[in-house]
Amino acid sequence: MNLFFLIGMGGAVGFLSGLFGVGGGFLLTPLLIFSGVPSPVAVASVTGQVAAASTSGALSYYRRGGIDLHLALYLILASTIGAMAGVATFSLLRAMGQLDLFISVSYLLLLGTVGILMMIEAVRTLLRRRSGVVVRDKLPSQHSWMHGLPMRIRFKKSRLYISVIPVLVIGVFIGWVGALLGIGGGFILVPALVYLLRVPANVVVGTSLLQVVAMMCVTTVLQALTSQSVDILLAFCLMIGGTVGAQFGASAGKYLRGDQLRALLALLVLGVAIRFGVTLVLAPANPFSMAVLTAAGVQ
Amino acid sequence: MRRLIATLAACGLMATPVAAEKLASTVSSATVQITSSFDGAVLSLFGSIESSDPNAIATGPYNVVVVVTGPLQDRVTRLKTNSWGIWTNTDQVTFRKFPSFYTVLASGKLDTIAATGVIEAEKLMPIEQAEAASTDQNPFRAYQFGTELVRLMTAEGHFAVKEDAVRFLTATAYVAQVTLPSDVANGPFLAHTYVFKDKQVVAEHSDGFTVRKTGFENFVFAASRQQPLLYGLVCVVLALGTGWLAGVMFRR
Repeated sequence: MNLFFLIGMGGAVGFLSGLFGVGGGFLLTPLLIFSGVPSPVAVASVTGQVAAASTSGALSYYRRGGIDLHLALYLILASTIGAMAGVATFSLLRAMGQLDLFISVSYLLLLGTVGILMMIEAVRTLLRRRSGVVVRDKLPSQHSWMHGLPMRIRFKKSRLYISVIPVLVIGVFIGWVGALLGIGGGFILVPALVYLLRVPANVVVGTSLLQVVAMMCVTTVLQALTSQSVDILLAFCLMIGGTVGAQFGASAGKYLRGDQLRALLALLVLGVAIRFGVTLVLAPANPFSMAVLTAAGVQ
Repeated sequence: MRRLIATLAACGLMATPVAAEKLASTVSSATVQITSSFDGAVLSLFGSIESSDPNAIATGPYNVVVVVTGPLQDRVTRLKTNSWGIWTNTDQVTFRKFPSFYTVLASGKLDTIAATGVIEAEKLMPIEQAEAASTDQNPFRAYQFGTELVRLMTAEGHFAVKEDAVRFLTATAYVAQVTLPSDVANGPFLAHTYVFKDKQVVAEHSDGFTVRKTGFENFVFAASRQQPLLYGLVCVVLALGTGWLAGVMFRR
């Protein structure tokens, strides 16, 4: 595959990830798959790129003190277990020949749901702005049933005293999904931390970024060990393009309003979801396909 | 006495066509090196047909068929069907020790070169290789999935049947050319040559050559297989390093 094509694609996705403040894995993995990279290789290699893309963000939040290390530690430990399960599921599905199907269906459901929710939220904000009504978003109520669970732990920085169980469940789930789909999962983790755990806004993004970096590093090593489908050259091209593109995206993002950005991102997410849906429903040009079974030479 | 002479004569008659020809052949290069700029290679296979009896002259007309086989792999062919509106892989047949490269080169139409049954007996055609490698008990499924596998391999340039690829320089000397695609598998290759006379095989010879990745790509590939932990850690260090460097460079 062409070197410049890969760096360019990494750059374009990096630009979008910088613009919208997302990791970009959920765009890059599908793009690679659509352009002919086998899905095992795409998923495993994008994992490395997501780690790179999130590192600079995590570092700058760390310098500003925007990370709850205590909470991040719990999330990282849980997501490591989730990632192990995810990599095991990945290998199992690949041996069964159902990995492509699983990835397509998961992306369709995940991106479809997230895209629709984001779209509704963004359209509502846009309409409200147009009608000139200033409504303050209702703060989520301070307590929910999750706060009644046992094994409570105090997270000082987040000013939270909550049960550790939902924290670990979220971590395991994110780790599992991230390893399977080649995404950092920031766009699931941030809402989960905000709405389920009530993590305050000043630490939520930094904590999520740190968790993504750690989890993607663990997943990269696990993928290299078990499925051996990490392509280091592919990953490195994407890293270079992605990190540089993200910087330009971040500065371009300053010229757009938040609600416009969210509406655009929702359109993008829905577009990718629809693309996966189409491949599932349309008759393939050739119903037969082949694959090499021996671990060596997946491509 | 007369019976003895008759027996000897019969033996002589029977023995003559068996040891009448021998083949000397070679490949233009014993190793094919794959560098990062490798985009396929063309190899030449040369040979000369001689009489095994030094006093006799090999007389044709001869025909030559060369079968070039690449390293063996386990492959699976899957079939997508539509269930509940979604296309999924629902059926598969596994092929064990199936060649990753298979090309039949001939000096003419195979059905005019060989008598009926000879091609089948020697398993010369790709589909016969697939049927032999199939792990499915059902011969119809082995044939159906094998045909599709051969078609897919042919589309990727790994399988071919070329009935005009062997050229005779003289009545007994030939040259054949085989094209290796850019993504050819690494490992040992075998070129097996059959000499046909009167639609029967009269001589055979095997030559080997090796395809080997060299340089940086080979180093990276070997590392991912032999040192997967180190490979993964290097990838992580690269990721963290790139991310950190980008953060430093674009801080303002």
